Amino acid sequence: MDIQETIQSLTQELRRGTLVLSVLSQLSEPQYGYSLVSILEEKGLSIDPGTLYPLMRRLEKQELLVSSWDTNEARPRKYYQLSESGKQVYQHLRQEWASLAEGVNRLMDGGEGYGAY
Amino acid sequence: MELISRYIYAVTQKLPEKQRAEIEKELRGLIEDMLEVRTHGGSPSPKEVEDVLAELGNPSEMADRYRGSKRYLIGPGLFASYITVLRIVWTAIGIALGVMFMIESFMDPTNILDHFIDGIVSIVIGLMQGFAWVTVVFGVIEYTGAQKAKGKNAEQVWKPSDLPQLPDNKSRISPAEPIASIIFSVLFVVLFSYSIDLLGVWRFAGGDRMVIPFFNTDVFNRFLPYIWFFLAVSILKEIMKLNTRRWTTRLVGMEISVTILYLILATFMFWDPVIWNADFMQQAVDSGLVTAGSEGYNTVNTIWGRATNGIIYLIGLVSVIQVISLIVTAYRHKS
Repeated sequence: MDIQETIQSLTQELRRGTLVLSVLSQLSEPQYGYSLVSILEEKGLSIDPGTLYPLMRRLEKQELLVSSWDTNEARPRKYYQLSESGKQVYQHLRQEWASLAEGVNRLMDGGEGYGAY
Repeated sequence: MELISRYIYAVTQKLPEKQRAEIEKELRGLIEDMLEVRTHGGSPSPKEVEDVLAELGNPSEMADRYRGSKRYLIGPGLFASYITVLRIVWTAIGIALGVMFMIESFMDPTNILDHFIDGIVSIVIGLMQGFAWVTVVFGVIEYTGAQKAKGKNAEQVWKPSDLPQLPDNKSRISPAEPIASIIFSVLFVVLFSYSIDLLGVWRFAGGDRMVIPFFNTDVFNRFLPYIWFFLAVSILKEIMKLNTRRWTTRLVGMEISVTILYLILATFMFWDPVIWNADFMQQAVDSGLVTAGSEGYNTVNTIWGRATNGIIYLIGLVSVIQVISLIVTAYRHKS
């Protein structure tokens, strides 16, 4: 495996861990799948719809999201929104992320060795 | 547009039926949304449809993501044992059918070419049968294992004490024993199913070879399904042995159950003497093995009578001894 491939797969792994947090952060208002793709993209976090759709379904199954079908528009759309437990989980994850990011940054910036290069 | 339906079908057919309709609706909406962005509301060209579908990626991967887990007939955890068992079963079938071919050629050397062709055909069929059965058994193990893993929750935490014992010399099972058992079981399946009439007294007089069978083939064949069941269970037991490679309480329990099953089956088969070849003595005389009324005839007659009546007790005795020795084995390995 050449180094580009390694970088790519590790980056993907890193991003995968943040997906749930990104999705939950945008769903205090109801969104359907593709609108969420556009929102995330606008904010610089492109996500593959083929990954996002199954993910939202899974989050719904875990009762973090609630969904409803809107059939008034030209094409029926499934809107997802944070549930009560989803909100709680999001708050926890948010704190976790903050301390994780802080910790990792501290590791990389400070100390000895190759940290800051 | 047909391409879109084909894509959605390719995804949903790999999903549980209950979820299909909704995921289909959702996916169709997504694809239309994606097309709309590209065409700004116009009707999409085939090229644009293809681009969108390519962006969504391989439908099986998409289905995997929807399902949340990969599906295996035989997963990576079982695959190594599957190959091992398949190899043993194939070897056993090969040896068993090879032996059958040799016996048949020996009995009837004039038609050796026919036997050879029959032999090749039955080996091919036998290997396919073996493959199918091993695969079915492992498929069931995989399925039940997967179901169990699904039901397993945090309350069943793994503990270091769950680690299996290192096999010590006294409880280790050498792989040769179960392999030999499997080979013999397969040999018995073949022998009982196709050539029970070969089991008897062989007589060679002049150029003629003939067999005086011990059993009444018709009666014996009625027991075949039970015999198959029994042999399948005991092959399964040998496979378990091959997997654990040492005596465990569970394995000893299984071994005892199989012995009891064997005893029950034997009792049923030999309870009624119709299973024996009623014309055995007559055929012995006809073949010239003994002369009616001679001393030899009386001896053979007595032995035949005692053997057919006594075999059930013999089997009972052997089974009891085996169960006792198994219990002793179990106790010894406990301490």
